[in-house]
Amino acid sequence: MIKLVNVYKSFNGQKVLAGLDLVIEAGKITVIIGQSGGGKSVLLKHMIGLMRPDQGEVFVEGVDITRLNDRRLNDIRKNFGMLFQNAALFDSMTVGQNVAFPLQEHTRLKRDKIDELVEKKLLEVGLRDAAQKMPSELSGGMRKRVGLARAMALDPKIILFDEPTTGLDPITADAIDRLIVETQKHTMATCVVISHDIESSFKIAHIVAMLYQGKIIEIGDPDAVKSSKNPALQQFIQGKAEGPIHVV
Amino acid sequence: MTRLSAEAKVGLFVVIGIVILAYMSAKVGKFEYGWGRGYEVYAYFDSAEGLAEAVPVEIAGVEVGQVKKIELEAGRAKVTLQIKQDVEIGEDAKAAIRTTGVLGDKYVELILGSPEATPIKPGGRIEQTVSPTNIDTVIKQLNSIGADIKEITGSISGVLGGKEGEASLKIIVDNLRELAQALNETVQKNNENINRTLDNLAAFSKDLREIAATNKDALSKILANSRDASAQLQETIVAFNQVTEKINRGEGTIGKLIHDEETVDNINTALSSINGYLQKEERFRTYVDYRGEYLFDIDDLKSYLSVRIQPKEDKYYLLQLVDDPAGKKTITETTTIVAGVPTTEYKEKIVKDGIKFSAQIAKRYYNLGLRGGIFESTGGVAADYYLFDDRLMFSLEAFDFDPDEKPHLKFKADYTPFQYIYLTAGFDDFISEDGNESYFVGAGLHFWDEDIKTLLYGAPIPR
Amino acid sequence: MIGFFETVGRALIRFVEEFGLIMSLFLSTIAWMFRPPARLRAIFEQMEFVGVNSLLVVILTGTFTGAVLALQAYHGFRLFNAESLVGSTVTLAVTRELGPVITSLMVTGRAGSAMAAELGTMRVTEQIDALYSMAANPIKYLVVPRVVAGALMLPVLTIIADFVGIMGGYVVGVGFLKINSGIYVARIIEIVELEDIFNGLVKSACFGLILSLVGCYKGFYASGGAQGVGKATTQAVVVASVAILISDYFLTAAMF
Repeated sequence: MIKLVNVYKSFNGQKVLAGLDLVIEAGKITVIIGQSGGGKSVLLKHMIGLMRPDQGEVFVEGVDITRLNDRRLNDIRKNFGMLFQNAALFDSMTVGQNVAFPLQEHTRLKRDKIDELVEKKLLEVGLRDAAQKMPSELSGGMRKRVGLARAMALDPKIILFDEPTTGLDPITADAIDRLIVETQKHTMATCVVISHDIESSFKIAHIVAMLYQGKIIEIGDPDAVKSSKNPALQQFIQGKAEGPIHVV
Repeated sequence: MTRLSAEAKVGLFVVIGIVILAYMSAKVGKFEYGWGRGYEVYAYFDSAEGLAEAVPVEIAGVEVGQVKKIELEAGRAKVTLQIKQDVEIGEDAKAAIRTTGVLGDKYVELILGSPEATPIKPGGRIEQTVSPTNIDTVIKQLNSIGADIKEITGSISGVLGGKEGEASLKIIVDNLRELAQALNETVQKNNENINRTLDNLAAFSKDLREIAATNKDALSKILANSRDASAQLQETIVAFNQVTEKINRGEGTIGKLIHDEETVDNINTALSSINGYLQKEERFRTYVDYRGEYLFDIDDLKSYLSVRIQPKEDKYYLLQLVDDPAGKKTITETTTIVAGVPTTEYKEKIVKDGIKFSAQIAKRYYNLGLRGGIFESTGGVAADYYLFDDRLMFSLEAFDFDPDEKPHLKFKADYTPFQYIYLTAGFDDFISEDGNESYFVGAGLHFWDEDIKTLLYGAPIPR
Repeated sequence: MIGFFETVGRALIRFVEEFGLIMSLFLSTIAWMFRPPARLRAIFEQMEFVGVNSLLVVILTGTFTGAVLALQAYHGFRLFNAESLVGSTVTLAVTRELGPVITSLMVTGRAGSAMAAELGTMRVTEQIDALYSMAANPIKYLVVPRVVAGALMLPVLTIIADFVGIMGGYVVGVGFLKINSGIYVARIIEIVELEDIFNGLVKSACFGLILSLVGCYKGFYASGGAQGVGKATTQAVVVASVAILISDYFLTAAMF
């Protein structure tokens, strides 16, 4: 589905991705774990073409998106939905308009049909009667749900989640996790989640991958990853300050 | 109070801006034409020094046009003037380059001759011109005047100088002395005025006497001739008198014609109606126009064929056929009563490639043109704004005011780089709810009747 | 010494780089402007923001600019008894120069800064990335409406500023300084050409383009959270104001 081959990316001379190889399988939830600031978001943005690698290729369904022009890239992006870390709702629009946005953009549906779909999508994420509210009136968890509704509006084949549970209380975080699992089951979409929340990651993942020093150091099903001998991975899973990963 | 939508506010705002702009351009605009652009005449000047294009042309201090072009032709300056349509210039008019203000700005003044003179036709020539006097020519003229004066004084001194001159002078002086002595007594008795008169008379009579003395023979001949001539003249006058008397009495054809007042009236009316007809034809213009607009979103061509009849320079009538790819929509309403309950059924029928019809009347105020009438088979209004000698035109049309739908709005800009061809671009039906909104670009051809005539005559004839 | 050259060189490179980025943003704005469908609603919203909502401030500054100009010109012209030329001086100065420039500077302060702040916030909260991720080009959604609104609304604001400026001059010249009103108006009509007004409007359209483009550019490439947005806003106002004044010189040289 998505394949990254030997991808390099650095910012201001600092290497964030260093020869990264990764294959995302179709129809599964892949969770990429790693340190904060370790390049997980950068990796995710490469998958949807928001960033271009300094070197290497990114294939989406066999097409190398690093070489596409804007127009072709936009065609590829129509297969994607993305939930941003802080939901990135357009704060000049109401919740309903936010969810309607991709529909208005990429479909030729009539107004009332769009309204109907928006209602349905909001219901799916558990938000009833929120369409007229402004994003600033919503709590963090609600904003993420609206973000998810918007990401799913076009029933995408691939959904990317950038830290979906960060900054939420445990109950809301769990609700979001369930929502992701349910959505995936429901739509059979390919999901890529990046997270540093170990507990929730292993709960929802079909495949777990660990990003460390710009590379994927371990990938496999949750149990296999848990029993890996890699010291950095073990340190991360157990949440210890001492080990090969130096924080300070 | 209901809150205005963004569109309404912006619209109101822009309208205010355009009104102010139109008002200000009307105020400071020196000379604005309607669509007719006036007519052109030309004149030759020995010098067009200081004259520039677009300076005013005035008659009696009233601006009636402007200088269109200044070019050199056979060593003289050919100046083309553009004159307002309703100003007539007689053939005996005179064109002069004049100076105004301290800084010496030049303008062209037309001095009209008699009001009965035949008016100059568009494209005609003003024969009489006065070139500006610059300082160089003034000095040159002063020089030649000086030379003339010198010559005169020279010849006078030639006459008076020399021995002969001296002698004759002496005689004159002697005579004068005698005369003076003889008159002295009279003079003493009378006042000075009479004295002076008499002096003059004396000098004059003396001159006459001299002339008579030298030309005695010639004078007597002239007198004899004139005596003969006056005898003949007398005879002619007698004969002429007889003729005119007859005419006056209404005898003979001419006499009858002249005496019949009806004839005079008839001729007068005939002349004035011919005049009126000629003038009318000059102002009445017909334009034929084709424009094609390529609509991007609909991916099709919208064509307009129009005839514009312009009886006055600030007014025209437009008849237009429109081939619209969006088609013509007709809604039929049928009400059927089923079991006492009336149900109304609406049927929408869209005829593809339907021909629509426009008929509009347009009026122009300075740079702003307003149109109203039938737009693509529905009622509508439009505003046109003209810039750069009408080469650029922006227009906004609003029509099809269906209460259930938003009106059809169209914005376009026409640019005319060449005489017959113009380019157009704009945005059609831009608040459409049916997805008919589209950008367009296009081009058009534009002729008026004279152009067509010229084209026909100018076309090569196959042999 | 070397450090001095380094500083100068870095500033120069930064300037060239920035200029290049603004130009490329301008070109892609033009390209996206003509790619249907047009975002009319967004354009109208921006027009309202840039144009209608700037009306009051433009009327105030325009009126008093014309008024003070009449006052100053009067003292000068009185020295050689040419008071009647006050009107045409005020009108020429306002239509050619002060109307376009002062309007543009006011709108830069009001709307240019807001554009930078708005787009900057959207950048740091990933809303711009979100647009990209939804296969919607943010230049079309955010930059085109603002630039179009800037270039279209500034001439309208300027003609209003011209008008109220001339009125302000009239009130001072005729009302307070007792210049004969007939002569005052006649001199204006005699000396001012249509071209003066139109060139001023063309200039103001260019300024509108500049201020909205710079505002969008600074916001679009903002980074570094709230502080970065604040910096972008300040820079947008400074850069746009300077660019307006510099380009004014060249536009004037080219036009009149």
